[in-house]
Amino acid sequence: MFTFDHYLCPKDLREALEMIERLPEDGKIIAGATDVVPYAREGRGGDIHFSTIVDLSRVDEFRGYEIAKGKVRLNANVVFQDFLEDDELRAHLPCMPYCAIWFADDQVREQATLAGNIANASPAADGTPPLLAMDAEVEIARLVDGEVRYRTISIDAFVHGPGKTRLEKGELICAVTCRSMKGYGGSFQKVGQRRSLVISKVSAVALVKTSADGRTFEDVRLALGGIGPVPVRLTDIEDMLKGQAITRRLIAEASVIPADRVASRSRVEYRKRVVRGFVEAAIEDALVACGAPMPTEEQREAAHA
Amino acid sequence: MPDTMLNMTVNGRKVAKPINGQYRLLDFLREEVHLTGAKEGCGAGECGTCSVFVDGKLVKSCLMPTAKADGAEIQTVEGLAGRGELTALQQAFHKTGASQCGYCIPGMVMAATSALRENPYADIEEIKERLGGNICRCTGYTKIFEAVELARDVMNGRLPATALDPDGAGESYIGNNVRRLDAPSKVSGALKYAGDMVMQDMLHMQVLRSPHPHARIVSIDTSAAEALEGVECVITHKDVPGKDGFGVFVHDQPVMARDKVRYVGEAVAAVSAETHEIARRALALIKVEYEELPGVFDPEEAMQPGAVVVHDYAQDNVVKHIPIRKGDVEAGFAAADIIVENSYSTQQVEHAYLEPEAGLAYVDHDGVVTVVSPSQNITHHRHMLSTIIDKPINKVRFIMSPVGGGFGGKEDMIYQGMLALTAMKTGRPVRLVFTREESILSTAKRHPSRVTYKMGLKNDGRITAVSFRMISDGGAYGMSTEGVMRKAAILSLGPYDLANVEIDTYGIYTNNTPSGAFRTFGAMQAQFATESHLDICAEKLGLDPFEIRRRNMMKIGSLTHTQQKLETVSIAEVLETAEAFCRWETGAPTSRGATRTDLGGPDTRASCTLGARFRQIVDDKKQEVA
Amino acid sequence: MARRARGRGMAASWYGIARTATIDRAGAWVEMDDGGTAKVVTGVTEIGEGILTVLAQIAAEELGVRPEDVTIGDNDTARSPEAAHAGATRQTYMIGNSVAIACRDARVKLDRELADHWQVDAGTIKAFDGEIWAEGTNKRMTVEEAIDLCKKRGVVPVGSGSFTAHGTGLDPVDGSGAPWQAYVFGCQVAEVEVDTLTGEVQVLGMWAVHDVGRAINPRGVEGQIEGGIVQGLGQALMEDYQLDKGHTTTHGFAKYILPTSLDIPQINTKLVEDRDPRSPLGAKGIGEPALVPTAPAIMNAIYDAIGVRITSLPATPEAILKALEEKEAAALQMTG
Ligand SMILES: Cc1cc2nc3c(=O)[nH]c(=O)nc-3n(C[C@H](O)[C@H](O)[C@H](O)COP(=O)(O)OP(=O)(O)OC[C@H]3O[C@@H](n4cnc5c(N)ncnc54)[C@H](O)[C@@H]3O)c2cc1C
Repeated sequence: MFTFDHYLCPKDLREALEMIERLPEDGKIIAGATDVVPYAREGRGGDIHFSTIVDLSRVDEFRGYEIAKGKVRLNANVVFQDFLEDDELRAHLPCMPYCAIWFADDQVREQATLAGNIANASPAADGTPPLLAMDAEVEIARLVDGEVRYRTISIDAFVHGPGKTRLEKGELICAVTCRSMKGYGGSFQKVGQRRSLVISKVSAVALVKTSADGRTFEDVRLALGGIGPVPVRLTDIEDMLKGQAITRRLIAEASVIPADRVASRSRVEYRKRVVRGFVEAAIEDALVACGAPMPTEEQREAAHA
Repeated sequence: MPDTMLNMTVNGRKVAKPINGQYRLLDFLREEVHLTGAKEGCGAGECGTCSVFVDGKLVKSCLMPTAKADGAEIQTVEGLAGRGELTALQQAFHKTGASQCGYCIPGMVMAATSALRENPYADIEEIKERLGGNICRCTGYTKIFEAVELARDVMNGRLPATALDPDGAGESYIGNNVRRLDAPSKVSGALKYAGDMVMQDMLHMQVLRSPHPHARIVSIDTSAAEALEGVECVITHKDVPGKDGFGVFVHDQPVMARDKVRYVGEAVAAVSAETHEIARRALALIKVEYEELPGVFDPEEAMQPGAVVVHDYAQDNVVKHIPIRKGDVEAGFAAADIIVENSYSTQQVEHAYLEPEAGLAYVDHDGVVTVVSPSQNITHHRHMLSTIIDKPINKVRFIMSPVGGGFGGKEDMIYQGMLALTAMKTGRPVRLVFTREESILSTAKRHPSRVTYKMGLKNDGRITAVSFRMISDGGAYGMSTEGVMRKAAILSLGPYDLANVEIDTYGIYTNNTPSGAFRTFGAMQAQFATESHLDICAEKLGLDPFEIRRRNMMKIGSLTHTQQKLETVSIAEVLETAEAFCRWETGAPTSRGATRTDLGGPDTRASCTLGARFRQIVDDKKQEVA
Repeated sequence: MARRARGRGMAASWYGIARTATIDRAGAWVEMDDGGTAKVVTGVTEIGEGILTVLAQIAAEELGVRPEDVTIGDNDTARSPEAAHAGATRQTYMIGNSVAIACRDARVKLDRELADHWQVDAGTIKAFDGEIWAEGTNKRMTVEEAIDLCKKRGVVPVGSGSFTAHGTGLDPVDGSGAPWQAYVFGCQVAEVEVDTLTGEVQVLGMWAVHDVGRAINPRGVEGQIEGGIVQGLGQALMEDYQLDKGHTTTHGFAKYILPTSLDIPQINTKLVEDRDPRSPLGAKGIGEPALVPTAPAIMNAIYDAIGVRITSLPATPEAILKALEEKEAAALQMTG
C-alpha cells in the first residue's frame, strides 16, 4: 500500500530544490510516479509510507524541450508519449518513436518521464539504450548555499548499475540533452513475453546515416538493453561499420560480435542468441528508415550462408 | 495532508474534499466521490480496469497519487454519456456482445473512447495498439474489436446509426443473437460488484497470511493489534464455533490455519477496522510464532515413502487416484505395429479473472448470517458455512454478487468464512477486498500435470492400446482435486474409440499453492498430451492429422473409455467441417510449414509489428505526394 | 532458415456436460407477471458467460414474451431454489432446462384459462413476442391481456421446474460408468508465425468448430469460444505461475503474463448443432470445452513451422529458441 503524510507540488526549480534539500530520508521525489507507486506492493516493496512526496510534474522549467545547435534538450518532464506524437521530436530523434511504441502502453506513456526512467535505472529500461546511442548528457541541479548549481554527466557514467545512478541527495535531473539525429534512420528492437505492456528481455537501438549515394555507412550508432546490469553502447561495432560500403554480409559479420557483451544473470544463452539477430535487424531497419530497400529473406539468408 | 482540500472537476461536477486516506486517484474516486465504474484489477498499471481521463488524457488511476490530480478535470466511465444514455461506442459494445463478466469493460470502454478521440479513423491495427494496456480475460478481445470498429464507422457516418440497433425477434428467441441484457450496466459502469458495495457502519477486513510453506503454529498473539485504535476485532481459528473445514470434495481446509500452515499465503488471522489503512497497519502487530517444518514441493517426491506428510489423514499424500481399465492393454500393445512413448507437462496457471475476490457480510435483523460475494457455488457454500458456524441452514444466507470472472477460481470458499465470523463477532457489516497479489498468492490454480504416454498403433493408424498416467500437484488442500482427477481420467484419451486402455490419474498433496477448479477441470491438461501424441504418431505413419483422428474417432454406439455407450456423436461432422472451414491442405505433419499453400488467407490476421499509427502517417504522406 | 516461419496444426477434443459421474439437478420458479412480463427465480447469477440473457431468451420463447420483459430474480440461497454451482459447463444445460420446464408449467395454467375463455383446445394456443393466439382461429390477444384475464379468473400463472441429468459414479476398480448424459466434440486449427530470431510465436489465425447442441444465442457461444481460445493461447505461450520452494515468484500482472489485444489471432468460428435428445431444449454447452484443443493445436502448428515439438508448456520465446538450438545441434551431429 502506498501512503504519505505530505504532498508537495513545487512550481519552479528553485522551490523544488529547496523542498528536496529538506526532504527527510523517508521522503520521495516523483515525476510520473509509474515506478514509485506500483513498487509499494506485495512482492515488491510491500507497504511503503513516505513522510513527504515532492511531485515534480508542475515544475515550470521541466516542461517541454528545446532544439538548438544540433542538440535536443529534453526537459525532465518530457514523457514517452511525446516521442510518438510530437513531429519535431520524431524528426530529431528518429529512433524514439519506435522505442516509445514498445514502451508500456498509451496510458502509462502519458505519465512516464524519460528522466524517471533513467533515474530508476532498471537494466531493462527502454529509455537508456537510445540515450547512449545519442550521446546524451544528463543535466543535474542542486542548491549550493542557496544558489542553483548545475553539473552535466554523460548518460553512460550516470547509470552505473541496476538501480544505481550518480544522482546524489539534494539533486534533481533537469534535462537530458542528446545530439540531434535528424537525417538518420532510426530503429528499436525489443523482445519480451508478449507485444504490449512488455518488459524488455533484450532491446537494441540503431541510428544510421548513409552517404548521399546511399552506399556507405557515414555514421552508425548502436546500443543494447536488458543484457546486463546496465545498457551498453557498441562502439566497436560502430567503428567496424563506419565508412564501409553497406553490404548485407558486413552487417551480418558485425552482428555476431556483441553476443559476448551479454552479462545478465539469467537467460544468458537466450539473450546471446537474440542479440546476434537484433543488432542486424536494428541496422537493417534503420537503413530502411533512411530509405534503403528492405532486405528480402533470401538476401538475409545469403548473407548468412 | 489529511485535511488539505483537493479540488477537481469530476464528470463536470466540482468536487472539493480532503484526501481522507485515499492515496491514489482510483481510491479517491471510488471511496470519496462514490464513482465505482473505475475498478482495481491489479493496482500496478498492468490491466487498465481503472482507466480514467485526467485533463483529456487517459491514464491508469491506480498509478496516480490523488494529489497529483488536484485541480484537474476528470472524466470517468459514468461521465461519458448522459444519465440513462449510452454513447455510440457503448451501444456498439452492447450490440456486438463485447462484454462478458464486465469487470474490465469500464476501462475497456474508456480505452476505446480514447482511441477514437485520438484518431477517429484508426484502423484495426491501431485500435489494437491503443487497447494494448487493457486486459480482458473473458472475451478473447474479438468482439471488443468488432465493437470499436462498428462505433468508429457509425461515428464517421460510414455506417448508419441503425447499425447499432438490435437484430429483432425474427421467428424465435432461440438461436437468436439477443443482446446481452446486462451489457448496459456493464458498459456504463453502473453494475456493482462486491468490492463496489458499501453498507452503513461497515468494517474493513485485512488478512494475515502465512509466510511459510509448512510450519507449526506455536502461538498467535493478537493483543497489540486489538489494542490499536480503530481496530474492531481480530479473529483466528479459535473463533470458529462449529466444525471447521471446507473444500469442494473433502473438507480439509480450516477457515484460518489451525495447528499448522501448509502453504505460503494461507490465512492465519483476520483484522477488521474502521478503515482499510488501520486494518493493514494492525496486521503488522499480530505476532505469530511458527516452528518451520520441512516442506514437500514436488508431487512425485511427495509420493515416495517417507516423504513429508501434508495432512495426517492422507499419509501417502494422495488426494485422489482415479483408475480406468478397459479391454486388454497387454494384448493391444502386442498387436501393434508401432509403439510410441513420450511425456508431456503443463504448468500451474492462474485464473486471473479481473475482479479479485471480494465480499461483504452482515447479520440481518432476524439473525441470519448473510454473505454477499462472487461465489460460484452459493448452494454448497451455504451448507459448509452452516456447519462451520454451527447454525441451522436457514440462518445462513449466501447472495451471489455479479462475478467479475470466475473460470472455476471462485468455487472455493476461501474467505467467506472469515467474513461471516467477523460479522457475527462484531454485529457490524464487514467487507474484504483482495489485492491482486493476494488473489494470486492464496487462491487455487490450474493443476500442473506430468503425463507419461504410451500408444500402440497399426500401420494404418488404428490405435490398438493406450497407457496413460498423469501426476498432478494438488497443492496444500484438496479443493477440487478429486473431481479434476476424475474428469481428466475420463476425458484423457479424447474422442476416440479405443478397445484397450489403462488410465491412472493422481492428485497429490504438496506444500505448494493449492490447485483447484479451472475451466476444463483437468481435461485440457490430459487432452494436450493426447492431441500432441497423435500428431507424433501421424508423422511416423505418414498420415494426415485429420485422417489419423478419423480412423479412430468414436461413432454412435461406441463405448467410451468408461464403457458408456454413446447415443449421439458429432466428431465426424466436426472434423469434416473444420477441415473445410480452414482450407486444410492434406499431408502428414512432417513440419511442412515452409511449403504449405493454405497459409496467410483472409481469415488470418497480419503479423503484428508495432507502430500502426506511424505507418498510417507514412501512407498519408505518400498519398499527398501522389 | 528464414527469420519468420509459418505453420499450421490441429487438435480435436471432447467434453461432458454438467457435473461429472453424479446426478446433477437444478430448480427454477417462474411467474407470468402483470404487464406481460415475467419473473424467473433461480439460484444463479452471471459469471460472464451470458446465462442471464440465455435464461431470458428461453423464458421469452416458452412464455411468448420478449427477453427484455423477463426479470431474472435473486441469486440468493434464502430466496430462490437450488441451482447449484456456476461451472462444469452446466448453466445452459441444467438451469436453462429447468427454466424451460418451469415456464411450460406456468403456461399450462395460463393456457388452461385462456382455452376455457376462448372455448378452444389448450393445445392450439401459441404465443410469441408478446402475442398469444389460438391456431386456426381468429382469437388473439396480447400476453399482457392474457395474464390479466387469467388473474381475473382467480389464477396466478406460476410454474416451477426441476431438471435432472443422470450421471452415474465410476467403478472404483475399472472406472466404468456413465459420467454424463450429454457429450460435445470440437476441433481447432491454429496458424502460427514463429520468429526464429526471438523465439516469439504469434498465432495469426484460429479456426474453431464446436458442437454445442442447439445454440440458444450463437453470438454468445462465439464469445465463449473466443475467450476460451485466448485463455488456451495464454497457457500455450506465456502464462506460468511459478513457485520457488512454495513461494511464488509471479506475484502480480507484471510477472504473471496474460495475453493482450496484440497477442491474439483472428478467430473464425463455426458451430455444429447436434441436439441433445435427452433434454427439452436440445442445447448442450460450450464454456469449458472451448479451450481444450487450443494449446495442442498451437503446439502442433509450431512443429509444422519449425520442426520442434514443445511438450512442456508454456512455449515461451526462450523455450522455442532452446528447442531450436537443440534441433540444430542434433542436425550438426548427424552431418558432422
Ligand atoms: C505498466 C507499466 C509498464 C511499464 N513499461 C515499461 C517499459 O516498457 N519500459 C520501461 O523502460 N519502463 C517501463 N515501465 C517503468 C516506468 O514506467 C518507467 O521507468 C518510467 O519512465 C518512469 O518514469 P516516471 O516519471 O513515472 O518515474 P517515477 O516513478 O516518478 O520516478 C522513478 C524514479 O525516478 C526518480 N525521479 C523522477 N524524476 C526525477 C528527476 N527529475 N530528478 C531526479 N529523480 C527523479 C524518482 O525519485 C524515482 O526514484 C513500466 C511501468 C508500468 C507501471
